Amino acid sequence: MANRLINQILARVFTRFPSLLTRVMGKNGYDPEGLNLDDIPWTPVGKDVDKSRVAIVTTAGLHLKDQTPFNMLDPLGDPTFREIPSDTPLDDIRITHDYYDHTDAEKDINIVFPVERLKDAVALGEVGSASPLHISFMGHIDGAYVKTLYNETAPLAAAKLIENGTEIALFTPG
Amino acid sequence: MRKFTEAARPPRSLYLNWPMGHPFGEPGNKAQQMRILRDALSAFQDITEPGTIIDLPYRWGRPEDTSSFECDCD
Repeated sequence: MANRLINQILARVFTRFPSLLTRVMGKNGYDPEGLNLDDIPWTPVGKDVDKSRVAIVTTAGLHLKDQTPFNMLDPLGDPTFREIPSDTPLDDIRITHDYYDHTDAEKDINIVFPVERLKDAVALGEVGSASPLHISFMGHIDGAYVKTLYNETAPLAAAKLIENGTEIALFTPG
Repeated sequence: MRKFTEAARPPRSLYLNWPMGHPFGEPGNKAQQMRILRDALSAFQDITEPGTIIDLPYRWGRPEDTSSFECDCD
């Protein structure tokens, strides 16, 4: 539990002074071992946004109150994801993520997961429809879990969105 | 933080020099949240080169940067 407290304190410091995080992370580098990131994935836009179905994929550590929270005890993080149905009451959403300060997101989840604004955009005719399913990861994923994410959980999440007719995935960080 | 976006190489992205945990802005500021969502959705049409990062001009905590936002939400 002491490690969790340290992580939570560091998250508050890094939220206030993001240049410190850049310095610390820059020292260790960003090196997803064994992954080929030379090619940038690219799918051309098939149709206009106002005719497309949009899903949100966040790394902000959201889950429903009755879902298992993300693992905060493993120093390498947690590569799993949680399914967030579009019609979930916002009061049923929790955040488990010790690596950023989510005090403000708990006041208004839309600042990391703009699900209400997406509904507004649909109502205004700016988006075709909202996916019935959104996805949440917890953005601290390190070491061997990067491959788990890349080869297993991210493709599974993508398949679930495609099953639900999603045409555009909007990624949001924590 | 922009360097991490560059390293992860997403196909299309927007960058905001705002505090972590606030990619759509301030709690309760619907117009600001809507502005960022609209910018993101526009990027799907506007970005044609893989790996493009659009730097948004909005400054954190500057009302003059957000007061002109319009939102028909709620």
